[in-house]
Amino acid sequence: MSLIDDFLARWHEYRRPGYYEEFDYHWTMTVDLDRCTGCEACVTACQAENNTPIVGEDAIARGRHMQWMRVERYWEGEYPDVKLRAIPMFCQHCDAAPCETVCPVSATYHNQDGLNAQIYNRCIGTRSCAVYCPYEVRYFNYNNHHWDEPLDQQLNPDVSVREKGVMEKCTFCIQRIRQAKDAAKDDGRRRVQDGEVQPACVQTCPTEALVFGDRKDPDSAVSLMLGNERAYTVLEELNTDPSVVYLKKVDADAA
Amino acid sequence: MQRRHEDIKFADVNNDIVRSLVETGPRYYVTLAIAVLITLACFFFPWFYQLYYGIGAAGMNHPTVWGTYLASFIFWIGLSHSGTLLSCVLHITNSEWRKAMYRSAEAMTLFSLMVAAMMVMVHVGRPWFIHWALPYPNQMELWPNFRSPLMFDVMAITTYLTGSSIFIYMGSIPDFAAVRDRTTGWRHHMYVLLSLGWRGTDTEWHRLGWAYTFLAVLIIPLAVSVHSIVSWDFAMSIVPSLHQTIFAPYFVVGAIYSGTAGIVTVMFVLRKYMNFEHYITKVHFDNLGKLLLALSLIWTYINVVEVFTGWYSNDSAELESLRYKLFGFYAPLYWEMILFCAVAPLLLISKRFRTSFVPMLILSIAINIGMYTERFLIVGTSLSRQYLPDSWGVYVPSLVELSILVGSIAMFCTLFLVFVKIFPSVSIYEVKETLPAPDEGKTQWQATH
Amino acid sequence: MPNIDRRSFLTLVGAGGVGAGAGFMLSESRKHPVEHLVPYPVPPEEFSPGIATWYNSVCSMCSAGCGISVRTREGRAKKIEGNPAHPVSQGRLCALGQSGLQALYNPDRITGPLVRAGRRGELEFDPATWEESLAELANQLELMRTAGRGGGVALLTGGVRGHLASLLELFMSWLGSDQLLHYDFNHPATLYAANERFFGESELPYYDIENSRYVLSFGADFIGHWLSPVHHGLGFGRSRQARDGIRARFVQIEPRMSLTGAAADEWIAANPGTEGILALGIARRIVDQGGYQGADLDAWRAALDGYAAESVAEQTGVAADTVARLADSFAETQPGLAIGGGATGNHSNGVDALVAVNALNHLVGNIGVEGGVIFNPPPAFGPTASRQAGLSRMLELAEDARAGRIEMLIVSNTNPVFNLPEAAGFAEALADIPQIVSLSTFLDETTAQADLVLPSHTYLESWGDDAPSPGVGFRVGAVSQPVVEPLYDTRATGDIVLELAHRMGLDLAFPWPNMEEYLKYSWREVWSSGTPDPAIPDFDTFWTSVVRAGVWGDETRAPGGEFAPDAGVVDGIGVGAPEFAGAEGEFPYALHPYLSNGLHDGRGANLPWMQELPDALTGVVYGSWIELNPVTAEELGLSEGDVVAIESPAGSIEAPVLVYPAIMPGVVAMPIGQGHEQYGRYAHEHGVNPIDVLAAQTEPGTGALAWAATRVRLVPTGGRVDLVKVGGDSRELGREIVQIADAGTPAAAGAPTVASATDAGAAVGIDVPAVGAEAAMANTRLNSIPITVVNT
Repeated sequence: MSLIDDFLARWHEYRRPGYYEEFDYHWTMTVDLDRCTGCEACVTACQAENNTPIVGEDAIARGRHMQWMRVERYWEGEYPDVKLRAIPMFCQHCDAAPCETVCPVSATYHNQDGLNAQIYNRCIGTRSCAVYCPYEVRYFNYNNHHWDEPLDQQLNPDVSVREKGVMEKCTFCIQRIRQAKDAAKDDGRRRVQDGEVQPACVQTCPTEALVFGDRKDPDSAVSLMLGNERAYTVLEELNTDPSVVYLKKVDADAA
Repeated sequence: MQRRHEDIKFADVNNDIVRSLVETGPRYYVTLAIAVLITLACFFFPWFYQLYYGIGAAGMNHPTVWGTYLASFIFWIGLSHSGTLLSCVLHITNSEWRKAMYRSAEAMTLFSLMVAAMMVMVHVGRPWFIHWALPYPNQMELWPNFRSPLMFDVMAITTYLTGSSIFIYMGSIPDFAAVRDRTTGWRHHMYVLLSLGWRGTDTEWHRLGWAYTFLAVLIIPLAVSVHSIVSWDFAMSIVPSLHQTIFAPYFVVGAIYSGTAGIVTVMFVLRKYMNFEHYITKVHFDNLGKLLLALSLIWTYINVVEVFTGWYSNDSAELESLRYKLFGFYAPLYWEMILFCAVAPLLLISKRFRTSFVPMLILSIAINIGMYTERFLIVGTSLSRQYLPDSWGVYVPSLVELSILVGSIAMFCTLFLVFVKIFPSVSIYEVKETLPAPDEGKTQWQATH
Repeated sequence: MPNIDRRSFLTLVGAGGVGAGAGFMLSESRKHPVEHLVPYPVPPEEFSPGIATWYNSVCSMCSAGCGISVRTREGRAKKIEGNPAHPVSQGRLCALGQSGLQALYNPDRITGPLVRAGRRGELEFDPATWEESLAELANQLELMRTAGRGGGVALLTGGVRGHLASLLELFMSWLGSDQLLHYDFNHPATLYAANERFFGESELPYYDIENSRYVLSFGADFIGHWLSPVHHGLGFGRSRQARDGIRARFVQIEPRMSLTGAAADEWIAANPGTEGILALGIARRIVDQGGYQGADLDAWRAALDGYAAESVAEQTGVAADTVARLADSFAETQPGLAIGGGATGNHSNGVDALVAVNALNHLVGNIGVEGGVIFNPPPAFGPTASRQAGLSRMLELAEDARAGRIEMLIVSNTNPVFNLPEAAGFAEALADIPQIVSLSTFLDETTAQADLVLPSHTYLESWGDDAPSPGVGFRVGAVSQPVVEPLYDTRATGDIVLELAHRMGLDLAFPWPNMEEYLKYSWREVWSSGTPDPAIPDFDTFWTSVVRAGVWGDETRAPGGEFAPDAGVVDGIGVGAPEFAGAEGEFPYALHPYLSNGLHDGRGANLPWMQELPDALTGVVYGSWIELNPVTAEELGLSEGDVVAIESPAGSIEAPVLVYPAIMPGVVAMPIGQGHEQYGRYAHEHGVNPIDVLAAQTEPGTGALAWAATRVRLVPTGGRVDLVKVGGDSRELGREIVQIADAGTPAAAGAPTVASATDAGAAVGIDVPAVGAEAAMANTRLNSIPITVVNT
């Protein structure tokens, strides 16, 4: 019975220790909070690259902003010793992602590059992934969005426009990763080189606070950043194992 | 013309119950028409609008992506609990008083499950693809995600719905046969089909009894598991104040609690409007009242535990969640819930209260309002206050949501109204079991004459 | 009528309801978007379907002049990124720059020439043809010119550089008019004046933040919007975490914390308008401590005599020991950099204050050194004399208009009706100008007053060039090329001017058929001015390479010479107390207007991305607000969303309150940019314009608008609105979301440096081939700009 053989073969393969940790690439981003100024250039870059809709004033008033990348602001202290701590927050591409387990139709899953991928076509809109995500980085299409003509001419043809009832989030600009991989293949190379692919936010960051690359490459810029003693992950206690690593802000006046 | 329960004759039972099916007054039609109209206007119309516009028609937003639809879903699932579960438990424990009420209680289960399923349809963003949540073979080799608690839900609810349907149907077969023999025309034909050729032989009674008990035993753990699984939708997340081990018993107790209160409401209505005064008596209300009291105490205990769990955690996220629930934006709702579900039911200590019909009705409705609030708070408060303070928000239901809530109640009523005209809403043969046998009566009659 | 009884009726109603639902779902599930197949038998030469084409150009969203690379697909612009080869942006770009696409594809663009039909400002226009409008306009101009009344023509344009500026100069000189004015709300006129006075330099210097170890900024929001925010951002990042063991310290002095203040290590609030006094207090301390040993030490001692710690502390509100600490650390940590601008420069004592800041740089020897202030060479091309008009010059123009001396006003790419205080009376003065011609892309407030609208291309459709100012310490030129076909029946400003000249019969003076040819002609000069390069045998090769690379220039900064201020300059140093419009008793709060990050001076308000970009410090979108210190708010009994009337001696506006934790108690701040009455669907009816309540107060030396020198009072209106903003609670509650490392943590080794920044180009490289392999290579190399024709 080839069906059973096939099943058993896969069963053993899937159950091999470490199978789920073996990624082709392990795309990782580091955010140096000591460099980040909170200028939000990344927010617009993401919006332009990923066809994130313009939702309008009313929708934002109702808490329905859609920008995949947002800057969270936390104030510390009182005047005059007041400090603003800004932190860019976007999909952390957790390797132990709570959102992936909960989707009843597997519309969100972990791909072979260590990315937390979202299949818009498969999504039925239970929104449970957004509930399970502790980083609040999943955005739901509460209605169909439209672009006043001719603003729609700007839409990126490499990224689909999502319809109502679908969850969406940061993809680490998966379309750029695909292109880089295709380019590497066309070049006859096996792997994408460090720096060859950058998500829109990393590309545009004026302070170079964001670094993106393959963690599996020990010489990549991102691997170097991961070795920094300031590296930490947000909400580490939740054990979500994020692929976005932050570098602590330095307080020059702290002891 | 009040008859006592003991005065009812076997023939009266058949007559009364068949009468309830066959004789339909204008009041029924008016009620049904109103229920249907409300269902259409308050449920289907807003829902179609929502399908056209998107979930944005509801009030949900970025942190609070779940709202009243999911609260309603849990509520209806909860309501479904006492029917079949209670019926099964009481069947196994041979409680006599169960017999007059279990049919309608089971119907409640069935219909609230159906309404709950509708709430799922209303809740999801793209209900036209809801079948993707079912495991069916397809050429894309795409399967649902069996790791997902939502998937467990789909399984559990489907199983429970199937089990409950079979259970209520199986228990009704002898009654269908009884009605078949006393009706004519299209009704007769319908009951011929429904009764599956029941003749009332000893073998048939024996098999029915055996299968019925078997199913009852099977359904009890199933029912418990259904609401445990519904609780896992929440408890398996890492949302502060939802990620708690007590959630499964909390939900099960809450479900039985609200379900029992629902039964009281339905009993009252049946008794009053279907002229079952002599079948559904103070005894039933007394017993249900005791049950409610016990459940309310357990429920209160679990609520206290929940508060202490949050408090003792000394974790910023848990504490904030707790603080928000007790003293935040939704605090009035929380205290309303405590009043209706923990404080008011203490009245049930008094037997006079338990055996008074109208106060019991009011209390049962209050408990269900409180329990609905509980479900709303579980969704609303915890999602509004999660880990990242900069992503906190407030959720207020929209008109569409409230309308659909009203419409779902009307839908439930509609289904129930249709039910009472097709199913004998009081079990003919089991009620007879509680009555003195006709032979005894005959002997008595002979002796006195 | 068919025989239907009640039951059948109800059955049908029920079945119908369910059926309708099912039918709807069926149709939803089967719905597919209508797709049109576009036949492409002969694709245009420059692109192949499915492959992106990148064009290098220059950003025109603000005056920084960043190089951009625009990604196009099938002839449509899809994304704007920084040009990695351009030394200003180095591959990076700010939010506003990226939104240029929405200026191009804005639904509210003017699609063709318009002629006023109703009364002025009523927005009744009839469509016209270019042929008619240009013929008519050229005729008018020619008549005026030949009659010697050419001086009656005024040309008011936004800050424009490069050869377009030269062309406008030429055109106006042929008309015989000297009324060629540039107007930008945020033009740093006082900074130019202060540099002129102290350094004797007419160009803005290059602030070498990247190599600095201590940046002391007086009011300059250099990361947010000031001068060249992207380049400053690059420097900021690299100065913090790119050098082993060295992390620069940033101190920001301003009454209201800006984006730069938030990023700084220390934010110090000095009383508004006293930043210059604080700078001199620091200078005095440095001199007192022996930090300065120049030959003119005595002159310095004398000039700084009045700035003892105590009196400075009293005037500025900054404690004396803070002043001392700042002075000591600034003198100690070399190289350091003092930067002044923003509200500091736009006060009644703006020039004096900025001179004081310049003096600080001199005292610690930071001029002409790496990590300090480096002088820029003159721009590679374009006029050097500034035509920028301050408030007083604009008032003169208004006066000329009222006196009937202006017969025709041509407005291009600037919006003075919005950007000048109402108190200046400019909008009213327009009524006295018989003919107003607007060359605007959008129907803004000024264009609404026009009699003739000749809509211009956006920068993404036009040819142009730019020499960024401030430069980066060496000469840079960049060519801006059209990246898409024009969307509408519009024309480039340069082409309109050339066409007018031709129709006026000035063919000999303007021999170029269009802007592109004019640029080529002019760049021939640039080419021939350099050392011949064997790789570039002819001009066409040169031109193609420059257009491809998007940039041309030198590679290295000229070494700085010794600097000493001219005699007499030191004696003149001194900062007076700030003067406000409005008495303190009557108007208790100093109004601190600031340019918003995304909307800039209001030009970004019609871009939906910018409207939806949460304000970087408050998270507010789509609106205006007034920021109050929590103490002030409590005193006035106000909380977020309470609407107050902001009354100044010049006017009154209403805005909701936002309690802002990082603003001085006596100061209230408002963002500029909202409050448009025109300017398209995204801009109008959002918020208010704080410029409206500014008094027509000028900095006396330059005549620039002192926009930080107005006092206001707040009158609660009793109204309440919900401020639309993103974000929930602004406190972290000890959850360690933004974690802090202590000061001992060494700066990151291996953090991205200049070298890995060049990799940015490689990312662009994915799609670059259409531009040409050579340019793609050029894109990946940062400091080697492809064609170098000048030796420094």
